[in-house]
Amino acid sequence: MQSGSVRPQLTLWHRLAPQTRIGCVFLLVLAIVSTPNGHWQTWGVYGLAIAALILLTRVSLSKLLQRLAVESAFISVVLLGTLFRDGGQVLWQWGWLRVTTVGLTALGSVTCKTGLALLALNLLTLTTPVSQLFQGLVALRSPPLLVAILASMYRYLHVLQDEFISMSRAAAARNLIGNPNRHRLVVGNMIGSLFIRTYDRGDRIYRAMLARGYQGLPTVGQSPPLFARDGWALTVTVTLALLGQAIYLLP
Amino acid sequence: MVTHGLALSWLGGLFSMPLALHIPDGFLSPPVTGVTWLIAIALIAVCLKQVQSAYQERTVPLMGVCAAFIFAAQMINFPIPGGTSGHLLGGTLAGALLGPWAGSLVMVAVFIVQGVVFQDGGLTAMGANIFNMGLIGTFGGYYLYRTIRFALGRDNWRGMAIGVGVAAWTSVVVAAIVCAFQLALSGTVSLSVALWAMVSWHLLIGIGEALISVATVSFIWRTRPDLFYDSPRKTRLSAPALYR
Repeated sequence: MQSGSVRPQLTLWHRLAPQTRIGCVFLLVLAIVSTPNGHWQTWGVYGLAIAALILLTRVSLSKLLQRLAVESAFISVVLLGTLFRDGGQVLWQWGWLRVTTVGLTALGSVTCKTGLALLALNLLTLTTPVSQLFQGLVALRSPPLLVAILASMYRYLHVLQDEFISMSRAAAARNLIGNPNRHRLVVGNMIGSLFIRTYDRGDRIYRAMLARGYQGLPTVGQSPPLFARDGWALTVTVTLALLGQAIYLLP
Repeated sequence: MVTHGLALSWLGGLFSMPLALHIPDGFLSPPVTGVTWLIAIALIAVCLKQVQSAYQERTVPLMGVCAAFIFAAQMINFPIPGGTSGHLLGGTLAGALLGPWAGSLVMVAVFIVQGVVFQDGGLTAMGANIFNMGLIGTFGGYYLYRTIRFALGRDNWRGMAIGVGVAAWTSVVVAAIVCAFQLALSGTVSLSVALWAMVSWHLLIGIGEALISVATVSFIWRTRPDLFYDSPRKTRLSAPALYR
């Protein structure tokens, strides 16, 4: 996964170790999500921090917004549900549907949280290649076996997607999609036959790995060294997270 | 992607269908997040241990491709009775094919990659997503399917089909109900709205899930029944008979 317009190793953010980047984004997302409803200024602080990060990393805005648009399309459906609830002042009523101040606050708050968290996560994946993400996860003490499974999954994802696409193209070319019942049967057969092939493929991969000296334990790449800037980045993130919360905690 | 145009129009777009059970960040309160994460971490730890002892060094390649398989299978759209289209969630199917532990582990891997790499489902909400679809969908789905199938007869197709179909539908609906309760407990959505919106929609999704799961299982039942986690005994007995 290429980050496209951003050349690697260019900005301060890119020079941080992957585990530091994951840590910073995770702390930020945690702070965003655990802010109580209605604390607008806190999200304002976090929003400014993310905006600064966008400027710092020089990710292309169009790419960021494009990804955000795709992701928020299906979130919006659930979001609407937060609007309709009891409590507070009734602002608008039609039948049993009513919009109250509490509902409006909930909608705004959840929108803020989800939007900011999505922005932060997209920044991470736009600036960090997947292989580095996995390296960072191992450095953060995730079970190496799990990360090895994830890496192996990511490697074969596109292979299997391509197989599905070519199978569905073959089915479409043979006019096998006449009515819905037939269509479902064809999809079921496709998935079934691909499972059989996948299982056998797993065995072949295992034997190929053995032939190349696989010892049964996943080899984990050297985790990149940490510098003083990694410590600083984490400190700044924690300070920002606490600063945002402090607005409402302090009298 | 241009070359995929034809297939994509048939698939209905790779990313078009909302994965309604994937909760994004910001919808759950800290207590709900914490509890579901704890359960998810426990599930992951036990799954890793069980799968490692069952598959040993084949774990990484086999679980990797199977997770990629579920991920790819989730992208195929098909018509659901009632006029809309949906896609497979695959929890019960993974359980029936790979067993409860490996199936859950594969689903967990799918959720982590979807959440971390593709931003489909949030980072802090991942615990809840794993709890809903990994624990309830796969683990619960598997044991429901197994109970029904073994009650109706382990070695006949009728028991298999009814078991998979009922378990697939039930696991999706129960996961949706639990998801609605999580959202309501977090104070995000009122319980009645959450239940109404989530469950009514997933009653339909569940029918699609059941139909596709049964169609998939029937193909494997006819061609390679030995691949099932609980393979029918006929094949298990007849295979050694050849070498007797």
